[in-house]
Amino acid sequence: MAEPDRSVQQNGGPMRLVIATCTVDYAGRLSAHLPLAKRLLMVKADGSVSVHSDGQAYKPLNWMSIPCELRAGPDQWVVTNPKGETLTISIEVVHLDIEHEMGDEPGLRKDGVEAHLQELLAARPEAIAAGLKLVRREYPTDIGPVDLLCRDAEGRAVAIEIKRRGEIDGVEQLVRYLERLDLDGRLRPVRGVFVAQVIKPQAQVLAAARGIGCVEVDYDELRGLDTGRLTLF
Amino acid sequence: MKFRCERDVLVEALGTAGRATAGRGGALPVLGGIRLSMTGDGLEVTGTDLDLTISVQATVAGGTDGVVIAPGRLITDIVRALEPGAVSLEADDEELRIASGRSHFAVRTHPTGDFPRLPTPSGDVVTLPVDGLAESLRQVTRAASSEDSRPILTGVLLSAEDDGLRLVATDSYRLAVRDLRGAGVLAEGQKVLVPSRALNELQRLLGSADGEVALRLGTHDVTFSIGPVTLISRLIEGEFPNYRALIPANYPNRLIVGRDALLDAVRRVKLLARDATTPVRIALRPTGIELTVITTDWGTATEDVDAKYEGAEMTVAFNPNYLIEGVEAINGDEVALDTLDALKPATLRPTEGDEYLYLLMPVRVS
Repeated sequence: MAEPDRSVQQNGGPMRLVIATCTVDYAGRLSAHLPLAKRLLMVKADGSVSVHSDGQAYKPLNWMSIPCELRAGPDQWVVTNPKGETLTISIEVVHLDIEHEMGDEPGLRKDGVEAHLQELLAARPEAIAAGLKLVRREYPTDIGPVDLLCRDAEGRAVAIEIKRRGEIDGVEQLVRYLERLDLDGRLRPVRGVFVAQVIKPQAQVLAAARGIGCVEVDYDELRGLDTGRLTLF
Repeated sequence: MKFRCERDVLVEALGTAGRATAGRGGALPVLGGIRLSMTGDGLEVTGTDLDLTISVQATVAGGTDGVVIAPGRLITDIVRALEPGAVSLEADDEELRIASGRSHFAVRTHPTGDFPRLPTPSGDVVTLPVDGLAESLRQVTRAASSEDSRPILTGVLLSAEDDGLRLVATDSYRLAVRDLRGAGVLAEGQKVLVPSRALNELQRLLGSADGEVALRLGTHDVTFSIGPVTLISRLIEGEFPNYRALIPANYPNRLIVGRDALLDAVRRVKLLARDATTPVRIALRPTGIELTVITTDWGTATEDVDAKYEGAEMTVAFNPNYLIEGVEAINGDEVALDTLDALKPATLRPTEGDEYLYLLMPVRVS
């Protein structure tokens, strides 16, 4: 059986990736057992431990979030947290054991289409509604920036959240921004508009209930591409 | 303010005026309200979203003068839900009380000062026959755009022609033109752009009317009066596309086909269309036409229709909904479809008369 014995705690160190044939037992609010199989064990720099299988881009089979303590022996890893929950990984064979310094995480960025939609609509806010004028892209609030802040033809503030696919969580995100923006006397009252290439019916219902407008936009048309539809002029 | 009237009279007035109120979530909540104004035995019920205003006059009993602004949707639902018979309404500064039989409602009201000042009809009065206008609106407003991103195209152009009034609408994929001969309501060379939403509401009102419509054209708005109902709409400012240049002078190919047979066939093959953009292909042959809809995931639908065709054999494809709307707009037993080629605008028109045409852009198919 191969190493490794890297003793206790990984906090602040590099990410450690181990591919091992192992069993996993979790004891806490409930008990769970993963039978013997080859798995990826991931110990992140913050000390969290997760167990992955080779299938789907999905959450781990089992994991222990911080705060937790890892005691890593050659045959067994034991992860515990202050609640007394334990994750016991019994290792039969180690196939790979590497460490890698990942550096700082810049955070989630919008995918290319979403970012480009924001850029295109910032340049042409009238594609959302006639008379809209851009105040600022990524207008800051104390819970994060709203995609666009505009003024309508009557000079009223309009906050715009842009998504590729309009779903309920996007509407809720905009509701939270509107609550923060309405605290600013220079902007109040702020109207919300939810913009996406396609907005799901449930999101449209929620938006209507929250007094938020919905606008679907054609990405190709905004980019000036030929959509295959011939026009008279 | 206080009055009493029959439930059905009030439901009708509230329903009509309420069509001009703003939906929920608008910037000004008072625009979701309906204004009830009593003077003598006359009740005026008004709704507006600033672009469109609809007022209805009704004669009621037991009146005390006054004005109240009440939530439009709510009071309409309340009155509609009451038992048939007399309804009493009484308002003070705080609330509107609605009573009928054993039902009593007290509804909070908006401050009357919050309601916008209503536009005053301006311009000389001219009249139009209800029948001709209603028919023209039915044929034309369908081609107007519903997308606010191009506000000019959401309007219907009303322009003076030598022999009357012309109505034109386009959403850039199709164009509808209707001449209303003998209707000299505009001065020579005059043209205005009226929102199609307002004209759709006017068409709805004309459906239950007869006689004449009074029209007054102001600088920034247009007023239509039909019996007790007055509709005022803001005009759209801007230059309408030069539609005349789009209409070919001559076509080498002409199809004559039964209107109902074509409509029925398109509706049937359209069942295979996955979405509104799946085209219907029309194979034009001297012996008749074949309609085809192909959807990769679902399959194929074809149908032959008897028709007379003169011209080059070819296949031309259209958005089925736009085709149906164009054929539906044409009166008569037969329609004529004139084409240049598979990628240039085609024209639908009746085989008799030249008062209407519907220009339709084909869809490019492989």
